[in-house]
Amino acid sequence: MFHSYLGKAQQIDFLLHSYLGKAQQIDFLFHSYLGKVKNDIKKIEFQKSNYIRHMSIKKPIWQQPWGYAESFTILFGILCIGFGFELVLPQTPSTLVFPINIILGSCLFVLIILYHFFFRKTKIHSFLSSIPLTISLISVLGILVIIMGILPQIPSGQNGLVQQLGFNQMTSSYPFLMINLFLLIILGFVSLKKTFPFKLKNWGFIFSHWGLWIVIFAGGLGSGDLRRLKMDVYEHKMEWRSYDEQNRYYEMPLAIKLNDFQIDEFNPKLAIVENESGELYEAQKPSMIMIEKGLVCDLQTWKVKVEEFYVTSGRAGNRYYKLSDFGAAPAAKVQVISAQNDTLKGWISCGSFNRPHESLKLNDELSLVMTVPEPKRFYSDVTFMTPDGKKRDVVLEVNKPVTVNGWKIYQLSYDDKMGRYSDKSILELVRDPWQPYVYLGVFMMMIGAIYMFWKGREAKIES
Amino acid sequence: MIWSNFIFVLLSSTLLWLLALVLYKKELLKRLFIILGITCIGAFIVFLWIKLERPPLRTLGETRLLYAFFLPVIGMITYMRWRYNWMLFYSLGLALLFLGINYIHPENYSKTLMPALQSPWFVPHVVVYIFAYAFLAASSLVAVRGLYQHYYKSLDRKVMLMADNLVYLGFAFLSLGLLFGALWAKEAWGHYWTWDPKETWAFITWLGYLIYIHRRYHMPNVFKSSLWILALAFVILLVCWFGVNYLPSAQFSVHTYS
Ligand code: HEM
Repeated sequence: MFHSYLGKAQQIDFLLHSYLGKAQQIDFLFHSYLGKVKNDIKKIEFQKSNYIRHMSIKKPIWQQPWGYAESFTILFGILCIGFGFELVLPQTPSTLVFPINIILGSCLFVLIILYHFFFRKTKIHSFLSSIPLTISLISVLGILVIIMGILPQIPSGQNGLVQQLGFNQMTSSYPFLMINLFLLIILGFVSLKKTFPFKLKNWGFIFSHWGLWIVIFAGGLGSGDLRRLKMDVYEHKMEWRSYDEQNRYYEMPLAIKLNDFQIDEFNPKLAIVENESGELYEAQKPSMIMIEKGLVCDLQTWKVKVEEFYVTSGRAGNRYYKLSDFGAAPAAKVQVISAQNDTLKGWISCGSFNRPHESLKLNDELSLVMTVPEPKRFYSDVTFMTPDGKKRDVVLEVNKPVTVNGWKIYQLSYDDKMGRYSDKSILELVRDPWQPYVYLGVFMMMIGAIYMFWKGREAKIES
Repeated sequence: MIWSNFIFVLLSSTLLWLLALVLYKKELLKRLFIILGITCIGAFIVFLWIKLERPPLRTLGETRLLYAFFLPVIGMITYMRWRYNWMLFYSLGLALLFLGINYIHPENYSKTLMPALQSPWFVPHVVVYIFAYAFLAASSLVAVRGLYQHYYKSLDRKVMLMADNLVYLGFAFLSLGLLFGALWAKEAWGHYWTWDPKETWAFITWLGYLIYIHRRYHMPNVFKSSLWILALAFVILLVCWFGVNYLPSAQFSVHTYS
């Protein structure tokens, strides 16, 4: 009896186990089906998104996630508002100056950061830092710049549509400024997103994008603080006032004494001009040839020989003599042989501010002349004096500015009527307190560029 | 006359670089000969610098000499990193061209540049642009090939990789060119950027390639649109290169020397 019970119990146990095994099997099957189904769903979704992308099945506009259609629509709206402003508001928006630019700039910066940290997880934020918006933005900026690259950028008296929409002074037009402001904001979001959380491998991105951001930010806000003044200094005189484009005078925190102003000139050139119009005759090139002592050359159809040449000279009687007076001009004695073998001889000179020029008549239509020499190099030997009693002697030359008391001083020009006899040197004084920040951005972009060169693109796709 | 030794430099660099071209499969010898050729030019520059007692930056001939030095230097650096033989020999060829022009036109040794161009930024600005144009032009050739494959065969992914890499290198040089130009302008005239037509078109070119780069990063598996962007960017590049002078805006450019 007992044994038979035991046998039954074992049987039951056995059955139970086999059922359990079946159940496990079923469970296993169920799970693997579930996995397959999940996989299938994933595949279908991927195919769907690919389908949408490739077969250009259109997602209705304004349905998330936003892409190119929404980006361009928004940008178009911004442009329309910009052009509206341009039509309605007064023409040149005054640029921001210290301290308003700092205040507005920091407000913008703080707002960008706050927005980023509070709305980081929203869909609208991921749109605002997405590549479709980036590309649309760069394209729209590109279109504006192309318009600027085609149409001359000069204020003109006309008042057509081009002028009314600001196309002839694009860089200070509302649409251009608004697109740039938008770019600054978007670039801020993009850079923040990729900077926090910080990953070392993103350093190339960080340098190029933050660099550009700093350049636009500091360059844009700082442009109003840039002071660009001119100063005329005369030999052996002291000057401490400079003037702006409206000829308003300002006292500077430094004084400049011009000790000497020098110009090295190229030799003048030979040229043929039309008698009536005075215009250069250019049947063949070269139409001008630089004069040297003993030069023999072909100019158009004439053979020209330079018999004498003085860099500075004066006329006395029927010829010129070497002379170094104030206003002495270059002169040359030339022999000209025409195609018909007629020989002409005579003196030519380009004259100076106090001496007449002289040309040689070749025939009824044409004359041989000497052009006014062009400057090779000009420089001012000056002494700077600052209120603290310091003195400093320097030579100012084009491309070699000197910084004194926060002002950068450039050799700009001279009295070009007087040429080499100018005793006036025109200097430019520039103060740009934002320059270090712009340079910081520029150097960051350079590092970004070197990173791009070094990293290239190959590694990324292969991995 | 300082420049009378120049012919030796020209001859030895030409010879060394020809040897490098012949032996272009032998890595070590090739590099050795190229570096020796560069050293000849470098030594001449040092010699000139000492004799003139100033950096050789003032005349047309002197700046050409500097191009002839820096082109192969950058070509070599690029080669070490990316193994583009064509780029290496292109830079050598251009360097020889500049040396050759100097030899044929000795008057350039004394032809002074206009004062604004006598700047230490001038040579890097030009050299870097030469590289940018070469890489970007090459990337466009690759893009044309890609478009052909796309429409008539099937696109080889390698072509796309090649285009991307060339654009990255070209874009890096183009950015450096623009940035050097901005620093130079700031140092020489007091403003970074004047929107002179040439500058404006260089900027448009830069934007064009910027679009390409971001598009590729975003959609690495979509080729057709990117290829078209690249082809279009090259059209803009050509406008920037040759076309600017014919536009209505060009009457006021400082970059039209010709
Ligand atoms: C100096 C100019 C620029 C350069 C050289 C540059 C370069 C790059 C590069 C190389 C990447 C790929 C990043 C990586 O490999 O990790 C990238 C990504 C990106 N860039 Fe730019 N870019 C520039 C300007 C801009 C601007 C002006 C914007 C937008 C207003 C922008 C928006 C973006 C975005 C949204 C990404 C994707 C970042 C991500 O989510 O992974 N970039 N950029």
